Amino acid sequence: MESMEALITQIQGLSGSVEDISHLHNLLKLTEESLQSEAPRLASFLGQLDPAKQSLGYLYILEAYTSAPISREQPSEFIMSVSTFINSCLAEQIRLAADKFVSVCKRFKDQVVLLQEPLRGVAPMRTAVQKLRSSSEHLTALHPDFLLLCLLAKSYKTGLGILKEDIFEIDQPRDFFLYCYYGGMICIGQKHFCKARELLRNVVTAPMSTINAIAIEAYKKYCLVSLIDNGQFSTALPKYTSSVAQRSLKNFCQPYIDLANSYSSGKISELESCVETNKEKFESDNNLGLVKQVVSSLYKRNIQRLTLTYLTLSLQDIANTVQLNTPKEAEMHVLRMIQDGEIFATINQKDEMVSFHEDPEQYKTCEMIEHIDSSIQRIMSLSKKLSAVDELISYDPAYLAKAGKERQRFDFDDFDTVPQKFNL
Amino acid sequence: MASSSSSGLTFKLHPLVIVNISDHYTRVKSQAQPPHGSSNGGSSPPPQPPRVFGCVIGIQRGRTVEIFNSFELLYDPSTESLDRSFLEKKQELYKKVFPNFYILGWYSTGSDVQESDMHIHKALMDINESPVYVILNPAINHSQKDLPVTIYESELHVIDGIPQLIFVRSSYTIETVEAERISVDHVAHLKPSDGGSAATQLAAHLTGIHSAIKMLNSRIRVLHNYLLSMQRGDIPMEDSLLRQVSSLLRRLPAIESGKFQDDFQMEYNDTLLITYLAMLTNCSSTMNELVDKFNTAYDRHSRRGGRTAFI
Repeated sequence: MESMEALITQIQGLSGSVEDISHLHNLLKLTEESLQSEAPRLASFLGQLDPAKQSLGYLYILEAYTSAPISREQPSEFIMSVSTFINSCLAEQIRLAADKFVSVCKRFKDQVVLLQEPLRGVAPMRTAVQKLRSSSEHLTALHPDFLLLCLLAKSYKTGLGILKEDIFEIDQPRDFFLYCYYGGMICIGQKHFCKARELLRNVVTAPMSTINAIAIEAYKKYCLVSLIDNGQFSTALPKYTSSVAQRSLKNFCQPYIDLANSYSSGKISELESCVETNKEKFESDNNLGLVKQVVSSLYKRNIQRLTLTYLTLSLQDIANTVQLNTPKEAEMHVLRMIQDGEIFATINQKDEMVSFHEDPEQYKTCEMIEHIDSSIQRIMSLSKKLSAVDELISYDPAYLAKAGKERQRFDFDDFDTVPQKFNL
Repeated sequence: MASSSSSGLTFKLHPLVIVNISDHYTRVKSQAQPPHGSSNGGSSPPPQPPRVFGCVIGIQRGRTVEIFNSFELLYDPSTESLDRSFLEKKQELYKKVFPNFYILGWYSTGSDVQESDMHIHKALMDINESPVYVILNPAINHSQKDLPVTIYESELHVIDGIPQLIFVRSSYTIETVEAERISVDHVAHLKPSDGGSAATQLAAHLTGIHSAIKMLNSRIRVLHNYLLSMQRGDIPMEDSLLRQVSSLLRRLPAIESGKFQDDFQMEYNDTLLITYLAMLTNCSSTMNELVDKFNTAYDRHSRRGGRTAFI
């Protein structure tokens, strides 16, 4: 107990300036085991510390305290204390002990999920994510947990805010897979199918040495989302996909590929029969809702194809071509598509005719100038980053070793720029 | 030498004269210069740049003296005077082509007026009572903003009780004819010697535009700061300057109509789109290389290359 008192006073004393903090950090690292052994009695000590100023010390004690199993009456209290801590702690101090912070937050998330009140955890987790990451381009281990809570709580908009930022630095590959997968699901929930497709594609094409389950699930959803968004799906993956993925993913997702093939025929009846045959598989993957959206998107796709051929068309003809039952249904579909901005048309209700127009965007407004200008700026910064990464990989020993091996060996006349073997 | 002339004559100099003098000097210098030898001790001083001489011709109307053209003359270093017969022969020839032009004076190169120049000047005084003396300073000084050309006149001043003829500086302005403007433009842009591919020409063109815009920007900034400090009260109000600024501002925009705005913005957007496309292509190409390198380095089952040569 005396050592605990001494520790508390030290924490209180040394939480001032930067050098003190690093000194304190070293001290705390040494006392880790003793803290673990005293776990149940630490609650009282927590009250003596101020989380806003002495965040580092508070964090260590909190982490040791939470490593012990929590009894049933306490979870609510536990959640309250952790959320107040997250809201009031200092970002710089926490980043020194990032892994402890991550484990505290993960336990917090588990408790919240156990209690089945994910909404309580969304706001604290968001603050936690913002405090832990060193820049908006940094992906931490907390990002996927935060997105998971958003999904469970169905608060998609909060998740979208975090998803808008581009990621350039990743701590752990597993975080990236989960982050993109959950992010894709959130975007599907918000019906942003374009961004969802991008995120799911990231999961599928990310470098992996062996196939993993997240990628398989993501591939299934990717197939469905690209049908909804793009109207087509090709099994050919981009060339930066790992060869493992390119070979094995297709084998796990056969029903989806069949669905894509029947979609491309353009006939509703074929599509629906395909859905019927594979219904159990879709249901077991929790993808049935998405599949239904695929079916309704086929109508949209067919109507869009009509705009390429016709200038005006009667509602009856639309219903016949698209295999809808009544012209009223056709009118509903067309109206919804006009509202969503997917086609440009006007409906003449007297004649029951629909006339299709061109895209009225003239590209001569100031907003368009700003839009293009901001895109150019983004691309300039992206280009700089790309060149930097390219340079980095050019002198990576793994690359140089392999590149050296692939040269022809018997050209003595050639000037040798890369030695054949690298002894490092 | 007195500082400024009091004769009240205004001088107008054409760029052709400046180009002629500089051309003459460069030719003589490059013919006289021995080829660079690496075995040169390095301690010998560089040879004195040669002085070239010639005549300037033009028209004098009332108080305005306009110098149009020039031609070269032979200088005799032994007598320190110009070759008279040569001068007269050249003068006859030029009179046939340009009947209006008279000999107005002479030119030379160097950094300053020298004593011997007065002899030449006096020798010319029988052709023109008050000849002008144009000096071009061939030394390249990058910090200097003005032209290194000075015009001197001769005046009779009383110094120490003796009336003497001395040189006094005059100010001058540059006057251009359309043909001269084109040639000066061409010289100013100094295209690369090999003609340049399309890329270098485009780069040179864009660099020119960039520097022009930069200069415009800095000048506007100066005016802006000036107006701000006038508003704050640091500088007394000057109405004439304010009038000039406001007239300058009223000159733009030149056209103000809906149709112009539309067309202008469409063209602007097109240019932006092309830039965007160029950047996208650039990025895609970098990305492609990066992906290739990554696949070579880290993909375990990537294609095993390395064909062995047929022996």
